[in-house]
Amino acid sequence: MPLFEGIAYGTEKNAVIIDIGKAYTKCGFSGETSPRCIIASEVKRQKSGLIVKVCSYSSSEDLYGILVDFLHTIYFRHLLVNSRDRRVVICESILCPSLFRDTLAKVLFKHYEVPSVLFAPSHLVALFTLGASSGLVMDAGYSETLVLPIYEGIPLLKAWQAVPLGGQVLHRHLESELLETAVVHSDDSVEAKPLSSLGGSLNEKILEDIKVRCCFVTDLTRAKRIQTARLQESGLGTAASTELPAPPPSVEYPLDGGNILHIDGKIRENTCEILFEQDNEERSVATLLLEAILQCPVDVRKTLAENIVIMGGTAMLPGFKHRLLAELYDLIEKPKYKEDLAVKTFKVHEPPSKENYTAWLGGAIFGTLDILSLRSISRETYRETGVIPDWSSLASSGEVSKEEKLGLKR
Amino acid sequence: MATFKRIGIDRVLLRCSCGSRTPLCRLYFCRHCLKLRCGECVSHEVDPHYCPNCLETITGAEAKLKKNRCANCFDCPSCKHTLSTRATSQAVPDPDDPSKTTPKKVYYLACGFCRWTSRDVGIKDQPVATGGWAEQENSDFKRITTLLEYYRQLAQKEKVEKERKKYTRRRGYLHFSDKYGLASVVAKRRVGMLSMSSLSLKEGDEVKVSDAPAADPACELEPISQAVYTEPLVLEKVTTISQRLANPEFQPTNRDDLYPKHKHMLIKRSLRCRECEHNLSKSDFNPSSIKFKIQLVAIHHVPEIRIMTVPNLSFQKESQVVLTLFNPVGNMTHLNLLPSDPEESDWDTATIELPTCDLVLAARDDASEFDEGVDQQQEFNDDSSVITFRKANKIGFGVKVTPQKAVGEVKVSFLMKYDYKNMTTALPGENKEPQTDILQHCVYVNLGPVTS
Repeated sequence: MPLFEGIAYGTEKNAVIIDIGKAYTKCGFSGETSPRCIIASEVKRQKSGLIVKVCSYSSSEDLYGILVDFLHTIYFRHLLVNSRDRRVVICESILCPSLFRDTLAKVLFKHYEVPSVLFAPSHLVALFTLGASSGLVMDAGYSETLVLPIYEGIPLLKAWQAVPLGGQVLHRHLESELLETAVVHSDDSVEAKPLSSLGGSLNEKILEDIKVRCCFVTDLTRAKRIQTARLQESGLGTAASTELPAPPPSVEYPLDGGNILHIDGKIRENTCEILFEQDNEERSVATLLLEAILQCPVDVRKTLAENIVIMGGTAMLPGFKHRLLAELYDLIEKPKYKEDLAVKTFKVHEPPSKENYTAWLGGAIFGTLDILSLRSISRETYRETGVIPDWSSLASSGEVSKEEKLGLKR
Repeated sequence: MATFKRIGIDRVLLRCSCGSRTPLCRLYFCRHCLKLRCGECVSHEVDPHYCPNCLETITGAEAKLKKNRCANCFDCPSCKHTLSTRATSQAVPDPDDPSKTTPKKVYYLACGFCRWTSRDVGIKDQPVATGGWAEQENSDFKRITTLLEYYRQLAQKEKVEKERKKYTRRRGYLHFSDKYGLASVVAKRRVGMLSMSSLSLKEGDEVKVSDAPAADPACELEPISQAVYTEPLVLEKVTTISQRLANPEFQPTNRDDLYPKHKHMLIKRSLRCRECEHNLSKSDFNPSSIKFKIQLVAIHHVPEIRIMTVPNLSFQKESQVVLTLFNPVGNMTHLNLLPSDPEESDWDTATIELPTCDLVLAARDDASEFDEGVDQQQEFNDDSSVITFRKANKIGFGVKVTPQKAVGEVKVSFLMKYDYKNMTTALPGENKEPQTDILQHCVYVNLGPVTS
């Protein structure tokens, strides 16, 4: 970094950028290429000593206490700065509950006395990492996958699509499969016991570890063969017989207490299928993109289809993006989409970051700009009005609405 | 925090100025506002940054440059333990005589806990003990800096436009000038205004915005390698989530890419009263010292009430409970116990009869611990029905408690009024007489469950 740049921008300190997700929180400073830390979204309460997830709260007072403790660890353990000196940018999902936003703003302004706060929609700021102004952004997170199209810096709110398929669903599916079929060897005995006899040994952390290290997303052709073979087994399939493709090798996974869990290769391959299997309403992670395009006006569809951005922790599964693209090309042949959808090509962007902090990086790039002060809510404004502008409530927006504020026009 | 219940610290609580009930040991006392402050109504500030391993202190500005990480200490990427630098000697050909070899000391990093070494990742051994380890480079750094530049230009343009809007509003009265023949005057003014705002307009109107560094979207994406389907997975080679997240920039999936990171620093916090902005607690600059430069904790300023004996408490039966009072300050204190306001009725489950007389506490004298045989009861006229014993700076007194509820805990509350000599307002040389203020705190006591 050249020296004069340091002096010129020395007066305005770097803003703090926080992206609170359901499973992980990314926090750091503006102008940096990666967050300082990615920590789990849970906090140890000072009063009771229990570890509580940030998104599980019973009332607004409870949430206030949780957020005070959580931001305390962020500021004084990971970021190591005074909260009073630096502006804050919060990357949030557009579906974030109003209670959460209001309580978070209250905690930041009243308890930590920050100078200003900006709530930035994560899909919109993700486009900052690419230098593009339009794109179809998909965030595959822990509790849900959310798709939002953005054209020329304006989110097309009416075209949002979401499905509750994410990391959490994968964990549940993995847990049920393992409890049913997996066997455990222990150190001393030779015989294999079923996993259910161990009882309570599969907690979230272990499931997440198994998912991250052993599971992967298989490609479309193999998935189709598996599906038809499975249908045949249950007697619903067509006459032609397809054999099951050879499963990948199984894994010996060490559990606590000297037990070794034998994970079958089939489980490794099939767990992530649940993301792409179409449920009763024929929705899967891939159909979200097509549905979102259909909801948009005809002129923008081509631009959107050629500017797809995929982000989120679940998108980091090996083989996810390739499978998603293959599913898209497969789905547009279906009669449901063939007539209405004229797009034929899909192109996917590669942001200069890992998928789990793309939204954070967008917020960090926005946080370096001088106009951050114009777009944020300052402490004085909050003290006077006590209200955060919210796109979902007409009462709070007097002048320009939030989306127009954030769209940088040329 | 489980020790709270065991020691019984939360038996006697005081009301802080924000309304919450906290034990005395967790409260701070602001000498300027003369109020109690709990942990929630003070603002925390970051004081010196220090490395937990080598205890090196650095200032805030330096910490920002180094990204809050120590320059000398490393963390093992595998188990997060501290890495130690080990030396070995390597045979290196002598520069003067190629045929001879001289031993040279080279250093490598090793973990004492999980046996990870820097050689596992492929880092070469360094000839210097410290400061030689290279950092990882982010390949996307350049792309991000170009993006930052581009957006800065856009933001600059927007800012200029906004400022121009402010100036153009003044031109609203221009059309009036023709009526009164002031067109020439106005025209001159306009030129003047332009030159004033020319600084922003020069680069402004046509801020050259370079073309967007557009990202090229890809048509085809790489599928996972076929080897996944056939080769067995070596679980030890794959990194766990916590190992990956320790290095958010690179998040390596393979053990061979785990690079050691510099150790993260810790801080010491200093506390400040929110209302008067005075420091309540400031620790010593040296990280290895546990002393405080400023320590305005309530225990040093407010008389402490503790429960001494609790008899069996029965419903509707009056029993005598003995409480003790400690005087922490260096001068004599006069105390009065008054019944609490009826607003506190949500806490009380019993009625209490308080002693009506003044309770006098002797000054705290650290030297008197070593003196024996000083009979203090002669100096104070104690009402022996109220005051059970007196020793140095503490007294025990009895109160009569009648539980009003048949089940549950017996809780009482009362007001404690005492005089406090304010040492801070005594400015040296001007006013030698320190002011005495009467302070009042609400005390909540939990005596335990009702025994039937």
